[in-house]
Amino acid sequence: MALSGIQIYKLLPQTNCKECGFPTCLAFAMKLAAKQVELSACPYVSEESKAQLEESSAPPIRLITLKSDGYEVKAGNEVVMYRHEKTFYNKPGLFVKIKTSAPEGDVKTLAQRIQEYRVNYVGIELEVDGIAVEDDANNPERMKATINAVRSMSKKPLMLFSRSASSLEAGLPQLSGETPLIGCADSENWEKYAELAKQSKTALAVIADSVDGLAELTEKAKSKGVEDLVLVPEGKNLGHELILQTQIRRLALKANYRAVGYPTLVFCQNQAQMAQSIAKYAGFIVIDQFAEELIYPLLVLRQNIYTDPQKPIQVQPGLYEINNPQPTDPVLVTTNFSITYFSVANEVEGSGLPAHLLVADAEGMSVLTAWAAGKFDAERIAKAVKAANLDEKMTRKRLVLPGAVAVLSGEVEAELPGWEIRVGPREAVDIPKFYKQVLLVN
Amino acid sequence: MRTITLGALPAEGGTRKRVVTVGGETAMPFMRFEGEIPNPPVVAIEIKDRKPEDWSPLLIETWEDVIDDPAKWAAAAEAAGADLIVLALSLPNRNGEPTTPDEAVASVKAVLSATGLPLIVFGPGQAEADNTLLVAVSEATKGERLALGICEDKNYRTIVATAMANGHLVTARTPMDVNLAKQLNILISDMGLPLDRILMDPTTGALGYGIEYGFSVMERLRLAALQGDKMTQLPMIVTPGFEAWKAKESKVGEGVPKAWGDWLNRAINWETLTAMTLVESGADIVVLRHPESLKRVKSAIDELMAAKAFVS
Amino acid sequence: MANYKVTFNHKAEPVVVKSGTLITEAARLAGIEINQPCGGQGRCGRCVVQVTEGKVRQRSTLRLSSEDIGLGYCLACQSVIEGDLSVLVPEQEKVERRLVTDRTAVEVEPLPGYSPEYHQSLRRYFLDIAQPNYEDQTDDLSRLQKHLRVALGFEQVEIPVTLIKKISSAFREGNWQVTVYLDISSGEDGISLIRLVDIVPHHCENDNPIWGAAIDIGTTTVTLWLVDLWTGFVHAQVSEYNAQIRRGEDVISRIIYADKEGGLQELQQLIVGTINQLVELACKRVKDYTVTPEQILKVTVAANTTMMHLFLGVPPSYIRLAPFIPTFNQAPLVRAQEIGLHVNPNAIVDCLPGVASYVGADITAGVLSAGVDDTDKLTLFLDVGTNGEMVLGSKEWLVTCACSAGPAFEGAGVRDGMRATTGAIEEVWIHSETYEPTYRVIGGGKPHGICGSGLISLLAELFMTGVIDKAGNLNTSLSTPRIREGEHGMEYVVAWGKETVHGRDIAITRVDIDNLLRAKAAIYAGFIVLAQSVGVPLEETEQVLIGGSFGKYLNIEKSIQIGLLPDLPWEKFNFLGNTAVKGAYFALLSQENRERIREIASKMTYIELSADNTFYEAFMSAMFLPHTDINRFPSVMEAIQSVKVPIQS
Repeated sequence: MALSGIQIYKLLPQTNCKECGFPTCLAFAMKLAAKQVELSACPYVSEESKAQLEESSAPPIRLITLKSDGYEVKAGNEVVMYRHEKTFYNKPGLFVKIKTSAPEGDVKTLAQRIQEYRVNYVGIELEVDGIAVEDDANNPERMKATINAVRSMSKKPLMLFSRSASSLEAGLPQLSGETPLIGCADSENWEKYAELAKQSKTALAVIADSVDGLAELTEKAKSKGVEDLVLVPEGKNLGHELILQTQIRRLALKANYRAVGYPTLVFCQNQAQMAQSIAKYAGFIVIDQFAEELIYPLLVLRQNIYTDPQKPIQVQPGLYEINNPQPTDPVLVTTNFSITYFSVANEVEGSGLPAHLLVADAEGMSVLTAWAAGKFDAERIAKAVKAANLDEKMTRKRLVLPGAVAVLSGEVEAELPGWEIRVGPREAVDIPKFYKQVLLVN
Repeated sequence: MRTITLGALPAEGGTRKRVVTVGGETAMPFMRFEGEIPNPPVVAIEIKDRKPEDWSPLLIETWEDVIDDPAKWAAAAEAAGADLIVLALSLPNRNGEPTTPDEAVASVKAVLSATGLPLIVFGPGQAEADNTLLVAVSEATKGERLALGICEDKNYRTIVATAMANGHLVTARTPMDVNLAKQLNILISDMGLPLDRILMDPTTGALGYGIEYGFSVMERLRLAALQGDKMTQLPMIVTPGFEAWKAKESKVGEGVPKAWGDWLNRAINWETLTAMTLVESGADIVVLRHPESLKRVKSAIDELMAAKAFVS
Repeated sequence: MANYKVTFNHKAEPVVVKSGTLITEAARLAGIEINQPCGGQGRCGRCVVQVTEGKVRQRSTLRLSSEDIGLGYCLACQSVIEGDLSVLVPEQEKVERRLVTDRTAVEVEPLPGYSPEYHQSLRRYFLDIAQPNYEDQTDDLSRLQKHLRVALGFEQVEIPVTLIKKISSAFREGNWQVTVYLDISSGEDGISLIRLVDIVPHHCENDNPIWGAAIDIGTTTVTLWLVDLWTGFVHAQVSEYNAQIRRGEDVISRIIYADKEGGLQELQQLIVGTINQLVELACKRVKDYTVTPEQILKVTVAANTTMMHLFLGVPPSYIRLAPFIPTFNQAPLVRAQEIGLHVNPNAIVDCLPGVASYVGADITAGVLSAGVDDTDKLTLFLDVGTNGEMVLGSKEWLVTCACSAGPAFEGAGVRDGMRATTGAIEEVWIHSETYEPTYRVIGGGKPHGICGSGLISLLAELFMTGVIDKAGNLNTSLSTPRIREGEHGMEYVVAWGKETVHGRDIAITRVDIDNLLRAKAAIYAGFIVLAQSVGVPLEETEQVLIGGSFGKYLNIEKSIQIGLLPDLPWEKFNFLGNTAVKGAYFALLSQENRERIREIASKMTYIELSADNTFYEAFMSAMFLPHTDINRFPSVMEAIQSVKVPIQS
């Protein structure tokens, strides 16, 4: 069980020596509780305390890393049931399925598309993590050939799935030096698969339709010396799958049940299953279709759900158009703190008056706080104006600053030649009045 | 969670052919092995009292034949499989003048006679207009057990009062915050409206536009409700259709990155994924716009509810 | 660039300024005082002037009506000169004096068991110097050093040039008998550095006072106690507004002002000026002795981190910028003359240590004097001013944070708000059926505005009578003319124009209510975050100690009703007055206490509220009356249930 800051504090030397880099032992203990530092930063902790603290901090869900030449996909190490309790750490690896029955040409084309797919979302490059080769032909030669075809186009990490160990045996030598995942081991074939995984140092997926079944398999595989395991809970339908995923996560975290302390993998057939797997606990997701219009929203959803919720609630900086504004309508500036944005946007929207709302990146702080902290100054405002390309977009260049930062008007004027800088009201509620009495008048 | 019924049958003083009951859960979404999920989440289709100007061309095309007539539109939505209808009133009417209370009442009545489904009516979203139009609608449909929205923390008294007097429900919207959601519920119930006549709308961003906040706020509301916090035990209504179709990804077909793929499929995926993520986090009513998304979400809900067979 | 002439108040010689200069700058050049309480940020509207001739470009017209603008009124700090001008500067309001010493003087018990020989770092020694002669040709300085070494055992004594100058005459004037004053404060590393503070001829009387001063530099108020270090007795207590107020009312405004050219120096001179005035005043107040400032040999200073920086003339720029790192938390000892303090030029100035940018020495000193670091009881200590600083803990551990509550509780940032001076409404009662208010005014005359305690009282009454709902919305369905649509939305009129000093209605607006809600929510959220950070329920707090001048006027019942203070039995609350100056006084007297403050500063764990969103969560939850989670306020819940809440029919 995780210890609180005060509980950890009681195990520390309490000398406030500051050598760990924190001003007090309590501050260090709080960071330890939040898992933001390593215990080793404390040179004076007693052996006894160390043992106690390490016991409490072992990850309840094993970290599994799949590797290939230049790529790495991680799953596991999660510590919460709900993202608001802390955060979800390792985004579920997204793998696209390629079948061994497919013609080599098709395999290459698809592998290339997967390899090259890249999409920009709020400045972040998102991509697919890897390829899952499914031996539907049940043929070692096809397995080998497909892997080679894939590898001729893509270096991303692989998963190999087959009903026969011989196909895997044929395929694995093509991937020497990598850590792929192989599977799926079930109650009948587990022994051979486990041996193979151990020999080739791969991760092993085990499949069963119940928590007990999965636990039994991981125990067996462990007894054969395989540590890197991935669970494939085979639900009978979406609801059953959700329940299995929830039970596994809960047993691992709350009951410290090590037999299911591994990331899970889901083979997805439709959007609902994909959304569910991203939201609810999958460590890896294998999809059997590759279409840009599906991959893009999935990557975005994954990015969203795995955002750190401890960060202040922000809206996306940028230009927001309210009530169909024209290039002659005013530009109102505010910060990207969500409440600030909502109060301004609501007032403008409610007034029915058209405006461009320019949301500057103030690291999620409200106007005054951001200004006080130097995160909302003339330079940042000018940068936002430029990023939104307003110099070209606007035919009348009128920028309204929040009244609380009237002091910036001079500097903004200097930063934005050719713009008319106006100081708006201090409170959002006064915007409609200001708009009607000042902006509409001249 | 409280159980809330929308719509009233003739025997109950209304004219609906069927009613919709939501809520009543005693566990986290679909966790049937440890609690009751007596009522599945339901899917509503949003229609407007006139052809909307700012909707995606894809939607306009989909509803082309009925978009000028709210009654036909409602019937089409019912035919597409909607469990209930959301009618959103417009600020300007067909002629560009403010919608009058009489016009609003006429639209609502037309929809009520065209479909037997329960109805939710949203005002245009501007305090003054919302209040005048909804009071008229509320009085003209006394006993129908409509849900009237949107109540917000700065404007809730008039709508709550008229709903209370005419036997309707209200929807209470707050901007993605657990505390604000709870606060508005308290304010409304302080006026005397029973809690089983309030639907809460915690607001959700679309996929890519803050959905994670809505997702977590809904999970937290449900967790608080299960821990006995009365003021969060209200069923949740969310509008992924509105949110998803506002996104550039759904609205715009040209001049977008190639990596975005096919427009129509992307837009439907956008709406479906947004809606499903919210269903997973505890939505009781999801309001959609496209019939294909409706189909997908409904079938997923069926599958989620079917889990009982496998759980002892 | 063009130059323009600006004439002020018709008479003075015009000043010549460059195009683009602000009127405030021109006024400064012309030597005309214009108050800028917001630090020239265009926020407060107090720098309004009238342009009678010529044209200016107004960047902001905040707080001016269109009528005002038509008459040429503009904000001096927001108006750019673009031509020759003639400007009328209205008579500047003087900061009102309410800080009468007698009113703020508190009973101070000298430290129990205080013994200057044991506790005091400033020591007085009488020396008999061996006279020189033809054989003994040792110079006077070496002679003194030898005596210090042989007679007192002090090997290394720092003797500044200014004191070397005094040695020879002191020896001879006193006929080779002198009194020396040494400071033996131990440094941060525990090594003593002995400093000579003064040398005077003759042996004085053994029980003559040795003068020292304890000072608390607040953002708004500066307090000084004049103390006899020999007996520990406080002979005078004086306070005065911090003269920096005219350059900004809060620390952020001052930091920004300090960044302007010449700003830092000006602010440093202003604060030292205020202290010098207080020193003189305090000396005059001493009844039994004649004291001159030069006799003050040791000064101990508590202050928030920004004030400490400004006091020493250190640029405070980085205090406000993330991640909020001050130049220093612990300054070395300095001599008075280095910073222009008019006490003995060689007096030791000891600036007490702080913890972080927003938890300064005023808090560490407060913790000491309140005894938080020495109690078994789980204690919540709070010092509310413009910033709300708070400490939770006991002798085992201490956590602290600072939340910017804003100045609403000091009466600022609220339309009809004012400080707690004559004419301020300090308490309000509202009739639960007629919604008619009754109020009490400080001084008993007509009201001028509402002060912090009046606002708390008003908010509680509005809430308990249902005039506002739990979110602070005014209930427009009540039939009373007092709820009306004002210039800034809905408002409630507390006093009609015919009852007030200025003839205008005194009202509280929806915006004011929001400001108050934010202020109270910030403070309560601070409590919650502190309690959460250590995993202790806030309700387990065994005592709440409230420092700062704010505390004196706080009504606990009303404060709990609005959710500002935690719902604990009233007897658990204790008001301590100015704990900072008291802490400085303790440290001035005793080296042990000084060491304790160092320990407090070192062991107090600072929680930075902007590091994650726990504060935000707690804040949103507290933005409700009394709180979103009513279970935290059982006594208020009970009280609400006993009054009827009016609803719209």
